[in-house]
Amino acid sequence: MNRLLLILWSLGPMLWQLYTSFRPNAALTGNPLQGGWTLEHYQSLLEGNPPFWRYLLNSGVVGLSSTLLTLVVAVPCAYGLSRLGRKTARSVNVLVAVAAAFPYVLLFLALLQVARDLHLGNNLLALSLPYTGLSLPLAILLLQASFRDIPPELEEAARLEGLGLWQRLRWVLLPLMAPAIASASLLIFLFCWNEYPIALTWLSRADLLTLAPAMARIAGSSVFTVPYGGFAAATVLGSIPLILLVLLFQRQIVSGLTQGAIKG
Amino acid sequence: MAPALLLLLAVFALPMVQYAWLSTQAQTVLTGLEPQPVGLAQWQRLLQDGRFWQDAFQTLRFGLCSVGLELVLGLAVALLLNQPLRGRTLLRTVSLLPWALPTTVMALGWRWIFNDPFGPINLLLAQLGLPTVSFLGDPSITWLSMVWADTWKTTPFVALLLLAGLQTIPADLYEAAALEGANRWQSLRRITLPLLSPYILIAVLFRLAQALGLFDLVQVLTAGGPAGSTESLALYAYINAMRFLDFGYSATLMLAAFLLMLLLSGGAVLLWLLSRPRLAGGQR
Amino acid sequence: MTATSNPNSAHGALKLQQLGRRVGRQQLLDSLSLTVQPGEILALLGPSGCGKSTTLRLLAGLDPASSGQILLGDDDITTTPPADRGVALVFQSYALYPHLSVERNLSLGPELRGTRPELMKEDINRVLDLLQLQDLRHRKPAGLSGGQRQRVALGRALLRRPRLMLLDEPMSNLDAKLREELRAELQHILRSIGAPVIYVTHDQHEAMGLADRIAVLERGQLQQVGSAEELYRRPANSFVAGFLGNPSINLLSLRPGQLIGLRPEQLRLASPGAAPTAMEASLSAQLTTREWLGDRVLLHLSSADGPLKVMRPSSDSLAAGLQPGAQVEVQWSRVDALNFDARSGERIELS
Repeated sequence: MNRLLLILWSLGPMLWQLYTSFRPNAALTGNPLQGGWTLEHYQSLLEGNPPFWRYLLNSGVVGLSSTLLTLVVAVPCAYGLSRLGRKTARSVNVLVAVAAAFPYVLLFLALLQVARDLHLGNNLLALSLPYTGLSLPLAILLLQASFRDIPPELEEAARLEGLGLWQRLRWVLLPLMAPAIASASLLIFLFCWNEYPIALTWLSRADLLTLAPAMARIAGSSVFTVPYGGFAAATVLGSIPLILLVLLFQRQIVSGLTQGAIKG
Repeated sequence: MAPALLLLLAVFALPMVQYAWLSTQAQTVLTGLEPQPVGLAQWQRLLQDGRFWQDAFQTLRFGLCSVGLELVLGLAVALLLNQPLRGRTLLRTVSLLPWALPTTVMALGWRWIFNDPFGPINLLLAQLGLPTVSFLGDPSITWLSMVWADTWKTTPFVALLLLAGLQTIPADLYEAAALEGANRWQSLRRITLPLLSPYILIAVLFRLAQALGLFDLVQVLTAGGPAGSTESLALYAYINAMRFLDFGYSATLMLAAFLLMLLLSGGAVLLWLLSRPRLAGGQR
Repeated sequence: MTATSNPNSAHGALKLQQLGRRVGRQQLLDSLSLTVQPGEILALLGPSGCGKSTTLRLLAGLDPASSGQILLGDDDITTTPPADRGVALVFQSYALYPHLSVERNLSLGPELRGTRPELMKEDINRVLDLLQLQDLRHRKPAGLSGGQRQRVALGRALLRRPRLMLLDEPMSNLDAKLREELRAELQHILRSIGAPVIYVTHDQHEAMGLADRIAVLERGQLQQVGSAEELYRRPANSFVAGFLGNPSINLLSLRPGQLIGLRPEQLRLASPGAAPTAMEASLSAQLTTREWLGDRVLLHLSSADGPLKVMRPSSDSLAAGLQPGAQVEVQWSRVDALNFDARSGERIELS
């Protein structure tokens, strides 16, 4: 019974969107059981200018590049912190944790200034820079905890065998951290995919919009009519990649979420 | 290590410094968008700005209500998921979905669900012969609709965090309590809550900070309306910067929001520290 | 046993000269001087925290020395980076790479060091044969028993063709029975390397059974180096006397300013009133409890000078028949008694 309630609470709103997205606009204001079905909403989204998949692609590009960049920057930092004394690392970590919880929307004005000064606006790859900065705290906390979980003898053994720092990372430490890296990557990717205020202010060209600002633009496009069929189709299309991601990687996402919060 | 920490400073600390400076400047269309020093005039203006105080109140109201609701529901879900049920993994996956969706996507969805009179809730009410509710058109109700939507999205996060906490509590504690004749409610109060309190604190701090940065949801769901009754501090700061091109005041607003958040987080930590000896005493 | 000895590189002796390590105010190791010959196995023995693992880490180069020198053959390696010392270390936890198979555990180091592939293959096969790991080569460490893991760790060390071989309590993760079985095999393999071997342990049986010489450490200071027999018969001080031997030596203050050390196994029992010969000494005591150990009996006695342990063969009818509370005379040969200065603990030779 409780379980049913939980499922209904979680899935109900999404199912309603799915249902709406296949209904002709005229039928939406009538009896919910009559009025037939249609694919027109999806058609118009995919034939729009730019087509809807473009936003998904943009989000994917930004998400992937930001995730990669974050890992590249965070791994050495986490390694360094994990090799510091516990006391020093702890005080650094408190600050990192504060940054991780920071409502980053408050940063948009300063970051927008950066974009203007350095001409980084309307550039998907440049958007990875603020995203990397914003994802770093979580990545550092997760990876650092994972570094600390590896017994120091393993690295010492590798050192004695003549492995340099890079070789130790590449062959011994990072393979052992694969689960943590997967968790961190997924969370970073989710964050970048969903991020709104920075994308909203850095991107203005319609064909470069990521999903979140595109969604807001769709929502704002028609205030007086009720094009909810189109809206619903957009929410469905915008949700599918994430739903797939959650279904596939539920375990890693959950472990990343809880680890990040607990160790930080 | 150094590049990462520098980047962190650049992204998180530098803006605060910049805002502090910008809040002593006027930078508007009138100054040709060039900063001009005005001392503390922006701060004076802030104190006298009714819209600021209203937004601050609305942001706080939203934050406290939604975090409170999420805690209660999150704990219920966590307790449910902590039982050895069939299909627990599936349940966890399903309950995680709302959290993973982009806020703008789900806000657009909720706009339709809250629709008056064609949203599903109002359809149901009408079917039952009850009056429909103007979820998004009534200033006294709309903010609650927003709390509802936010709770739907973030309860999974809180639940998973508390679930992780629950799983650290050894089962023999409950067995010992049961042997001493404690009922379920007593063991929840005497064992679960005290041992869970660090996790609750983490959840509260994190969620409170996020809720005070309320922006995506409001902008897409209500755009601050009706009659400004749902406008948040972040949205007001955004409007000042992007619509009024008043950058100095926008910076002042954001710094004020930041300080408010620090104050609130400090309060939450204090509350936790104060409640600890009592809870520990209850355990003895 | 030529699997690992390298005929081209003659092994040199290891010399520690006043080696010390201090961290903050703590002197972990104080001025240790030792020489270990090629092919010799030296056990570093002592209770936990005595400085034996510290010494090992200094030799491996994992921690820097605060004073003194380490010489290996003709080279001063005091500040040489770990990888360039030609040192192999078998860790207490074995430190096998959990994500790699046995074979990859062995090959990772040589491969990344740039060893020629065909040479490496040959080497690895020889080590796998030597350690009887051929059938396990594709397993991951999690699928191995403790003894098998130890062999893999040993194999990894052997592949380095070390100029100095270090082992940090390699048996402590194994059960008692297995330890005894492996001791001879391990000794055989270690000797075949031809390099100086340092073996850290807190187990005196292991040290005595495996090593040519034993160095006893306590609180960062070397107490004594010597063969097991030397340490047993002529301990330098009461600490060494107490640490070696099981059950441990009786220390009684029969004379002012002195401690007399009496090994339980060198004591005899006689009926009350029996007079000792000129070569013997005795004291009277009362039986408290008795432990039956199969071929031997361990008697706990109390005397006017303190508690006393006596170990007798179970064929000793007096020892076997004695009732708790009964009086008995404890006798020993004067030559067997060890005398220590009560204050410094140093042994005193009585002429």
